[in-house]
Amino acid sequence: MASFWRREPPAVVLALAAVVATTASLRLGLRLTNPTTAALLFLLVILITAATSRLWVAIVTSVAADLCLNYFFMPPFGTLTIADPQNWVALFVFFAVGLIGSQLSAAVRDREQEASARRDELGRLFDLSRDVLLTTDSTEAIRQLARFVARRFDLDFAAVCLPRAQQWDIYEAGARSITLDPRELVQAFAGAESALEFDARARTYAGHRTIPIDGEEVRLIPLRFGTKAIGLLAAAGRPVEPDTLDALAGVVAIAVERAQFLEERKAAEVARRGEELKSALLASLSHDLKTPLTAIRVAASNLKAAWIREHDREEQSDLILAEVERLNRLFQNILEMARIDAGSIPTDVRWVHPAEIFEAARDQIEHTLKHHRIVVEDGSDRLVRLDPRLTASALAHVLENAAQYTQPKSPIDVNISVSTDGLTISVRDHGPGISPRDLPHLFDRFYRGTQAGQRVSGTGMGLSIARGMLAAEGGRVWADNCADGGAQFTIVVPAESKVMTEQV
Amino acid sequence: MSRTARILLVDDEVPIQRAVAPLLRARGYDVEVVGTGTAALESERTRPPDLIVLDLGLPDVEGTEVCRRIRAESAVPIVVLSARGGETDKVAALDLGADDYVTKPFGPEELLARIRVALRREFSPDGAPYGRLRAGDLTIDYDRRRVLMGDVEIRLTPKEFELLALLARSADRVLTHRAILKAIWGANAVDQPEHLWVLMAQLRKKIEPDPSHPRYLLSEPWVGYRFASESAEG
Repeated sequence: MASFWRREPPAVVLALAAVVATTASLRLGLRLTNPTTAALLFLLVILITAATSRLWVAIVTSVAADLCLNYFFMPPFGTLTIADPQNWVALFVFFAVGLIGSQLSAAVRDREQEASARRDELGRLFDLSRDVLLTTDSTEAIRQLARFVARRFDLDFAAVCLPRAQQWDIYEAGARSITLDPRELVQAFAGAESALEFDARARTYAGHRTIPIDGEEVRLIPLRFGTKAIGLLAAAGRPVEPDTLDALAGVVAIAVERAQFLEERKAAEVARRGEELKSALLASLSHDLKTPLTAIRVAASNLKAAWIREHDREEQSDLILAEVERLNRLFQNILEMARIDAGSIPTDVRWVHPAEIFEAARDQIEHTLKHHRIVVEDGSDRLVRLDPRLTASALAHVLENAAQYTQPKSPIDVNISVSTDGLTISVRDHGPGISPRDLPHLFDRFYRGTQAGQRVSGTGMGLSIARGMLAAEGGRVWADNCADGGAQFTIVVPAESKVMTEQV
Repeated sequence: MSRTARILLVDDEVPIQRAVAPLLRARGYDVEVVGTGTAALESERTRPPDLIVLDLGLPDVEGTEVCRRIRAESAVPIVVLSARGGETDKVAALDLGADDYVTKPFGPEELLARIRVALRREFSPDGAPYGRLRAGDLTIDYDRRRVLMGDVEIRLTPKEFELLALLARSADRVLTHRAILKAIWGANAVDQPEHLWVLMAQLRKKIEPDPSHPRYLLSEPWVGYRFASESAEG
């Protein structure tokens, strides 16, 4: 009501002032008393009023103009009585013309306003459909859709309600939060499913429903994809034309279908990647299993053979042990990878000295590191609080990688430092470095360097496992090439740290 | 065997080298070990071996390519080691002139048997195309084009005899489907393995004691057929 008083009185006041001004200028300024001239001028004022303001303002103006015409311009002047019967007719005609003119003019203006509102709503619909088309994230898509609807249509409350097996998924947005009663939704949805006629008078399809909740009129509009009802749109706040709501529901229905399609496509993509992983794993396994198995099989029968000499016997049993170790490591990798995939890596956090982690890592891959010189720089006198088992395992994979891709006897530098952010371990080798083509994929599962070819025995699992394990404790690992040759891997694990207390 | 046969072992996997080389040496072969295709080709030229054991998964040159290049220069027998599950590589190597193959993981006896067969061909290059061949109860008389099971003659069609004779001449060696099709039906028939399949079924019915468990005509799935001169069980 406040806005009404702010907008309407000036119009009435202005219109009446115009009538008074016209009267005054004619009578006092020009000293004219010709009723015809006055009537035409008043008519002009009425029509202008009708064109710019509301119908009732125009009617009030007509009445005022009528009275003025009678009082000031029709003899006897200064009274509301009319002497000449002809003037009765003139006055009535004037009043009628004023009214009809007002009505016509107001109708034109209403239509124009309606058209502009329609344009505005079309614009909103267009913006909404563009929002919808630009959405690619399928998981958030429907929630975002509700937000778009609320924003584009200035609604206090908008909700996309989708029926699921047992309950309703409700994605709501807007400044107000309204709790929708599932029973109401079920009822409205049943109505939407059963009827599909177009109601020409209401200019909507069947199934619209208005329910009062907390003193707010909440409109429920069926979402239809084709002829099939797929859910409901709830809207409250700014009034929106029913046919616009229908169009809005159409856009929302398409968006919901699109989001579901995106979701399905993503699931299919995940499944496809899973298949790819599986076949990559199989290919990798069949290669990596067959060499050690062949060596073990041949060496074992060599051991049994009559020809074997003492020197050969030792050589062949060493070979078997080494290959069994290799198989063991392979199975460990597979198990670790399966656990990373299942997301079931338990973390066991405790206070530990960084040197312990390095030693544990070195022990795990003693065999591979045999031919390399490891230079450790560990200036830390601080303890860190993290999962030493996971960290050591990840470090072992990184060290193993460094040993495999560099010449025997070449040094591997390990630098361990503790800062307020946590533990940083860098492993730097003096090998050929990492080809720029490999860098982005280094930690991808089953990725093998393009340069290394088959020279290096590896499964393409180690670095991806290292990354997975570190991720489980919030850490990360990355690689880059050193300016003076060789590659450097950096492991960072966020952790609390404290100065070691001397214990006696 | 009048002299020690020289074997060139080509495999980049050190564990295989360490297990197989002593095995071959213990059986009296003179063994040279190399880890790359380039080294293999080099060694083949400078110190011609009597047989090459060639791994198909080499780091520098594709194993099949090594096979092709060796065959372009020499008829030395090649036994291929294949770690890949795919039969494609094996068949390609065989069609490029390899004599036989062993699939990893193999047992020592399997490898030694293949080497023996391949060397036998090398040391008697004619492969006994004339005269008679006896295997178990089966006698193949090449001169008269007759086949006897014990004392009973088995009537074979000309194509059936051709197939049996072809396989028996390369006894204990695998022949690829392609090679057999080409030898019997000509180069145009190499993509029609169904001919071979039908003919083999007929032949097995006539000479195999139990056609569903062949004793003489063994299948190497997806690769080819092999004539077994000795019973697998025996």
